[in-house]
Amino acid sequence: MNILVCVKRVPLTGGKIVLTEDARAISTRHLGFTVSPHEECGAEEAVRLVEQHGGSSTVLTLGPPEAEEQLRDMMAIGLDRAVHLVTAAEEWDPQATAAAIVDAIRAEPEPYDLLLFGNESADAGNYQVAIRVAHALQLPCVTGVKGLAVHDGQVRCEQEVQDGRDAYDVPLPAVVTVKEGLNLPRYPSVPGRLRAKRKPVDTYTPVRRESRLEMVRLHLPPGSGKQVEVLGRGPEAAPAVVGVLRELGVV
Amino acid sequence: MLGAAVLVSAGLFARRVQTLTGVLRAAQPVSRAGNVPRRVRNEATVVLGQSKLLSRLGPGLAHAFIFWGFLVLLPTIVIAMIGVVDKTATLPWLGHQGWYALLVDVFAVLVLLGVLAALWIRKVQRPRRFEGSHLGEADLILALIATIATTLLLWHATRIALGLNEWPRAWSPVSYALSHLFGTGQATRVLERVFVWAHVLTILVFLAYLPRSKHLHIFIAAVNVWYGRTGPGGRLEPVDFEADDADIRFGSGSAADLTFKEVLDTFSCTECGRCQDACPAFATGKVLSPKLVIMGLRDQVLAQEQSTLVPDAVPAESVWDCVTCGACVEVCPVSIEHVDQIVDLRRHLVMVESSFPTEAEPMLRDIERASNPWGRAQSERAEWAAELGVRVLEPGDRAPEYLYWVGCASSFDERARRTAQSTATLLKAAGIDFAILGPREACTGDPARRMGNEYLFQAMAEQNVAVLNEAEVTKVIANCPHCFNTLANEYPDFGGRYEVIHHSELLAQLVRDGRLAPTQDGHAVTYHDSCYLARHNDVVEGPRELVAAVGRPVEMARSGKNTFCCGAGGAHMWMEERGGSINLERVNEAANTGADTLAVACPFCTVMLDDGVQSAGEKIRVVDVATLLAERIDDDAPARRGERVDDDAPVRRGERPA
Amino acid sequence: MSSADDEVSRQALTLATELNEPIGAIAIAGDYAPAAWARSIAEEVQRQAPSAVLAPGTDRGNEVLAHLAAMLEAPMAANCVSIALGDPATVTRIRWGGSLLEDARVHGSPLLATVAPHAVTAQPADLEVTRLTPSEDGAVTVAEHIPTTSSGVSLADADVVVSGGRGVGSAEGFAVIEELAALLGGAVGCSRAVTSAGWRPHTDQVGQTGTKISPEIYIACGISGATQHLAGCKGAKKLLAINPDAEASIYASADYAVIGDLHEVVPAISAEIRKARGA
Repeated sequence: MNILVCVKRVPLTGGKIVLTEDARAISTRHLGFTVSPHEECGAEEAVRLVEQHGGSSTVLTLGPPEAEEQLRDMMAIGLDRAVHLVTAAEEWDPQATAAAIVDAIRAEPEPYDLLLFGNESADAGNYQVAIRVAHALQLPCVTGVKGLAVHDGQVRCEQEVQDGRDAYDVPLPAVVTVKEGLNLPRYPSVPGRLRAKRKPVDTYTPVRRESRLEMVRLHLPPGSGKQVEVLGRGPEAAPAVVGVLRELGVV
Repeated sequence: MLGAAVLVSAGLFARRVQTLTGVLRAAQPVSRAGNVPRRVRNEATVVLGQSKLLSRLGPGLAHAFIFWGFLVLLPTIVIAMIGVVDKTATLPWLGHQGWYALLVDVFAVLVLLGVLAALWIRKVQRPRRFEGSHLGEADLILALIATIATTLLLWHATRIALGLNEWPRAWSPVSYALSHLFGTGQATRVLERVFVWAHVLTILVFLAYLPRSKHLHIFIAAVNVWYGRTGPGGRLEPVDFEADDADIRFGSGSAADLTFKEVLDTFSCTECGRCQDACPAFATGKVLSPKLVIMGLRDQVLAQEQSTLVPDAVPAESVWDCVTCGACVEVCPVSIEHVDQIVDLRRHLVMVESSFPTEAEPMLRDIERASNPWGRAQSERAEWAAELGVRVLEPGDRAPEYLYWVGCASSFDERARRTAQSTATLLKAAGIDFAILGPREACTGDPARRMGNEYLFQAMAEQNVAVLNEAEVTKVIANCPHCFNTLANEYPDFGGRYEVIHHSELLAQLVRDGRLAPTQDGHAVTYHDSCYLARHNDVVEGPRELVAAVGRPVEMARSGKNTFCCGAGGAHMWMEERGGSINLERVNEAANTGADTLAVACPFCTVMLDDGVQSAGEKIRVVDVATLLAERIDDDAPARRGERVDDDAPVRRGERPA
Repeated sequence: MSSADDEVSRQALTLATELNEPIGAIAIAGDYAPAAWARSIAEEVQRQAPSAVLAPGTDRGNEVLAHLAAMLEAPMAANCVSIALGDPATVTRIRWGGSLLEDARVHGSPLLATVAPHAVTAQPADLEVTRLTPSEDGAVTVAEHIPTTSSGVSLADADVVVSGGRGVGSAEGFAVIEELAALLGGAVGCSRAVTSAGWRPHTDQVGQTGTKISPEIYIACGISGATQHLAGCKGAKKLLAINPDAEASIYASADYAVIGDLHEVVPAISAEIRKARGA
């Protein structure tokens, strides 16, 4: 199997979000970074599928030079190679991102059997890059997958819905977006990390299409205006709590 | 015939020794050169002086008698062998010295007394530390030693009876007394031969048996003590990740991975169980026994099989139960370094197999990605200092005299935070020029290193050293003993050389100099020594001075370098505890002193012991020495942030500043 | 689609009515097949030439509209909380599960946007509904529905959710959380740190990448309040935080707080409830 996993470098925001002065980005000074959570599970799934079915896996990102850190982290858990579409600091809108990813996929020597994406990125949450890529490549697409199994050139994908799971059987090649909970990503071994330092990363400068979903500025949601009511300290607060629960009609 | 026996015995001895030295030579290298004067001193105190053993007087004396007796009686082996060949001959010069004969008599008796005491301890007293030891082997060895000493005395007795000895009876009082058992006739002549042959043959059998038993320690122990660590106990040896991939040693996965010192450790173990007795994990019903770890490793090393140490030699639970408190290392009479061994086992499990308790995974990921094990945003790191006017050092700022290294616990944990607030307030009151790094202070990497994730540790070390060096920091006040240990003892390996002082030591200095003047209130306060301060780094007095300045000190039995762990070390702050609770054990000990305050000098101890107090329903108040001091400096001190001080009510945890 | 989709659809409709333009509503029959559904909608868009196409900001709403956007090669703004038509249209949409807002201009007509859940309160609407039946040949569609085997209250639907975070300390520690949840007929949730530690399955995780809940009351125990967690409980009507740290950031989003250790407070609440009922 030849598998592609697309990931995005996102900051770890902690308890508060702070914006840059021009309010066009999150201030990332003193913030750590990670691969967006859904995508980490996608990467883990790719490694497992290759372990099971043989073949190779590639991790791809569209992002600034620092995103190489995320590519190396993914290769440390077992992805074989990486493709880095290097951008300047400013973020790209989802349409342009998808187009650039499609360019890169078309430039690859071998076609992919399975293209894994996160359902949505933790930061921008546009929910559309994978679907656009699927349309451009004329591939079927299933989203929000939390259970995945490949056999006989087909992939069975399970989505969680209100009263259980919906399963799709889709022929490969296909685009699948996954959600955290699909699996538990493994903790990389140090030999894996050291090998990852030497694995190949193909870098390209992607062509940027004009932005049609144009971010003007970011702002924090208005405060809830809530003033928290301290019901008490320690177990002595229990009666006050039950009083509140009574008022809400749950007791 | 003697020659044949000697050859056989020597041959068996030599063959075994060859196997053992082969294993030692094949072991991984380790650098334990340097600091020769210290090593010589260790030989003198630990080996000759039996210092570690004598901390328990009874068993210590029993062993010392046997050991010193062994040294004194060594020449009698040669004398006996000469006597086998020619009953009238002896060692030149020494064999003719009356004072030596006296020594021999006295020490032979002491040896027998030692053996009797040992048998009494093992058979009647039966202390728990022998659980898991091979008692049969020990009995055999004691029997052989007793036989050697007895046959020696009896041989001398028969020689005296036959008139073969040459000095007045005053020089051999015991042998002389025994000689009354024997006549002067043929029977005695026969017995004289019997005893000398028995003596020599027993020795030769012992010689052949020796390297195949734990009695090997009589040769190896002195070597192990020589190679023992001379630097601070808290420093772990780094892994060299720059080497070629195939040459990197990721801790100990199989017996072939053990270092020379580690193999030596396993050969030195006498199964005495003092480490097991000292271990807080074992004391609270966990699987871990440091003794069984070393014995298990020894068996694998000697079996020379290609097996995985965990779980074949040591169960995984043992590896993870360890809190790296070092009590085992402190009491070991032959300088075995159990903590290094366990960390090496962890290194392989974590770095190569990614096999470790799942609950520790978020902590490791958070250190890597968020730069602190709490997973909180670094931008929030200096929030504790918000209203205290503490200088936060930005890149390019003038370096302060002291860099106050707060640590993650005091930055993010609500109970530990008070320590930092108190310390900062006190430092300001005393006019100390200091600053904090705030968001640029990342985790020192201590929990990662103790877990065995050396790779992550080194990444943090390099990052922090770069920040500290760029800021031209020379002196560091460490808030937390774990940070203290890492900054002082481990960062030098990564280019970070700073003068590091623990906050309690600096505060004690300020009180001594009169720059801080606390008032006494006579409360009974018991001080809990943090393992990483007292045992690993010998910081014992400073915090006690602070306690004495504000209250009436009451000591627990297990204090100073004999302190009993709070349970948070070895990354256990983030791991679950199986079995009983180490912190509860310690809280009970503290409560039994009758003190109403339990003073600590470590944020982990603060949290663990306070948790213990809450679980146990005790009323004792757990508080850092800095906070105690701050409360007694000035009634309006900002350190208390508007809290009323009610001496009768213990302050509740998580108290919100008014 | 599901009842949650219906609820958000009603919210979307309400937002649409605020645009003061004529509105047509589309209901689609048959098995869920996102691409096929999008194709039908595309045909309808051709026929009706609307200025905007709105959909609920649920998994399925976002998916169908993304397919539509891909087919029309048009931009799509997901999870909007406010919309203004124009040339270009402007929207405000959520990022980081709701912890951040983005003002954006959308260059394209018709405006394709989904409406974030809870952005507006649904009002009853009386509209003409066009019913479409998409053709399914070759479409990716649901092959099998596997009903849930677990009993008990579903996290997404529960009126009461009691969650534990790092402060719980172990898998066994959740016993007190489970007890309280059972007493209140609620579901048990947890934070991401808990699932990473292996104490609870991911299905219990409340957060941006876990389950999004909307109970009457959310009781968060030993949870500090990371934005990704709060993103999962924005739909909660009331939030009670139980935390020993008086400075925990969760208080900024809480209605009620108890400052204390959950291992003492939660059992006390359970005992108090039993007393209130038994007495």
